[in-house]
Amino acid sequence: MIELFFIITQILFIIVIFSLPIFLIDEKYYLKQLKFNFIDKISINLIFFINVLFFASILNIKLDYIFFVYLFTIIILLLFNLKNVIFTKIKVDYLFLTLILFIFFISIDIADQLNFAWDVKSIWIFKTLNFYQGQKIENLSQFNSTDYPHLGPFLWSFFWKFPHSAFEYLGRIVFVFIYLLSIISFSNCLKTELFEKLIFSILLISLTYDYAIFSGLQDVLVFSAILFFARVSYLLFDKKNKSEKFGLILILLGIINMLCWFKNEGVFYSLFLLFSLLITYKFSKTDKLYLILGSASIFLLRIFLFNYYSIDLNPDYFEMEKTVSLDINLILYKIKIITYYMVVYLTQNPVYIITFSLLAYLLYKYSIIDVTSFVLYFLIFNLIFIYLTYMFKMTEVELLIKASMSRVIFQTSGLYFLIIVIYLNNYVKLPKK
Amino acid sequence: MNKKIKKIFCSLLISFLILIFIYNQNLFRKFYNVLDINYEDRISKASGFCSDESIGYLNYIKKKFNFNFNPMVINYEDSVPDSNWSIYDANLKNDSKHKILLNYPEELSLKFYSHKNNFYTKDTVKYAEGISEIYFDLKVPSLYFNSNLMIYRKDFGTNKKEIIYNKPFKELVKNKQKITLPKNIIKINNIYKPIFLEIKNLEKDKINNIKVVLKNQFDLNKFKILDSYGNCYYIR
Repeated sequence: MIELFFIITQILFIIVIFSLPIFLIDEKYYLKQLKFNFIDKISINLIFFINVLFFASILNIKLDYIFFVYLFTIIILLLFNLKNVIFTKIKVDYLFLTLILFIFFISIDIADQLNFAWDVKSIWIFKTLNFYQGQKIENLSQFNSTDYPHLGPFLWSFFWKFPHSAFEYLGRIVFVFIYLLSIISFSNCLKTELFEKLIFSILLISLTYDYAIFSGLQDVLVFSAILFFARVSYLLFDKKNKSEKFGLILILLGIINMLCWFKNEGVFYSLFLLFSLLITYKFSKTDKLYLILGSASIFLLRIFLFNYYSIDLNPDYFEMEKTVSLDINLILYKIKIITYYMVVYLTQNPVYIITFSLLAYLLYKYSIIDVTSFVLYFLIFNLIFIYLTYMFKMTEVELLIKASMSRVIFQTSGLYFLIIVIYLNNYVKLPKK
Repeated sequence: MNKKIKKIFCSLLISFLILIFIYNQNLFRKFYNVLDINYEDRISKASGFCSDESIGYLNYIKKKFNFNFNPMVINYEDSVPDSNWSIYDANLKNDSKHKILLNYPEELSLKFYSHKNNFYTKDTVKYAEGISEIYFDLKVPSLYFNSNLMIYRKDFGTNKKEIIYNKPFKELVKNKQKITLPKNIIKINNIYKPIFLEIKNLEKDKINNIKVVLKNQFDLNKFKILDSYGNCYYIR
């Protein structure tokens, strides 16, 4: 019974952390013209909070201090703005209720299954323990795979420590929150009534949910960040949002920073998303400059921190020298193996079966619009990336593919949901809101 | 469609989708488990008490001895990675004198079966420090060997051999006879690469299999046992 109490209070804690500031901060900070709904505002708070956590982690600020600074800020906001909050005016948000309901469902699943994936047992849990037990970022050099980023474990340790500091799995509930929030926030891309959005969200959750994604692996964070990126990109492509681009660019930069620090491949995904967006969306020169300079600063910061902590990428994995030595037979063998397993894993993932069939239909039937090109460019970059990733590995390519390709394919699957949105918004007559 | 009817239809559809999700994930059962079974028992069920990762035993030992150091955790089960995360404390120093041996085997061995021109084992091994004996399971009463005995590893998808042992083997061997090899400390440990055994000019059809017995890196007789449960030991 005590665990059920812990789970419920953990969910409430997460909800309060990310939604309370919405009531206490003036409306104008949420880009008024974009008319963000409650879920979008929570997403913005989440992106902001994770970026704050990131800077706190690299500055070695202890989890307790972060928590107390947050509490202090909330109290200050409460003192100044409580009078302006009219609680009777707060409406029931069904998307938000769905979010809470599914967090509870998935938390129960996690609490029951408990087991970790292989990489979590040997890598991620030690990084998490490091922060949970009050150690500094420098101490991570003691553990395996020092080149793996630390933001996910830092987030896990924060929500493990607060509010209860009890069971490890309570910290993973924040991953559930991020995953569900990204899906429900993405459903707002649909220009339909609430019920259709709810149905769409539940279908996407049912299509993508599996306990394995919450077994401590960080892939779900990459998946969610890409889905947030897809949501914001769609807002950009939406002709209505012409005048609020700077705010959206800031959110995109926040997501790019998160992606870079969730997993190493996140750096590549950030680049692909950035290139695809720059190619397909007509930014003004100033906006383009903001986006490019902002992203460059994020990548440079990553390089600087890697150099500062003397972190090298795992030499066993990146065997570029041997790969470019042009052993044609070996290259052909690897292409054959990669293609075979890619087909196997793509067809095992229902997201790809649905979205790729729909994409083929759209390309055949209709002319390509800007947002479709965005998805297409990303798809091409992504496929090239998957081939190159496994080509750089000289030995045991098949073993590596079997262990990781399904996860790599899952990470980016969220972006292809845009194909469904493009189809429903542009080519199907649904009742508009 | 009438707006009211549509609303009812959509609400029913949403409820139906939620129920399917609950049913597919078996959430009622899991909810009951969380209410009825405590955390220690659930994690032991998921990761084994003294099997697989043996997290149950590690937690039990940690509670019993209240360590002020990180003991060395050695898990002989090779289908799982290190198990020490469950008792690891980043604020404490590592102490390799204190060891927790999990899934300690009575005998460490590899069984090789005929495969193309040599013998191949599906077994994997950790924490062995040399070969002690070899047994030949023969289809005939005895067989004369006069060649080199070679044991090697191979990477998946390549033909490059990594030789572990390669010495002359000249002997008349009886069925299941214990053959002690000269003292060696070869590193046969590997859980990722397949291991092969090769004896040239051999009448392979006369051999069922070859068992290679290995020396255990951690011999229990050389340590003081502080606690034990099944095949799990806390030693110093």
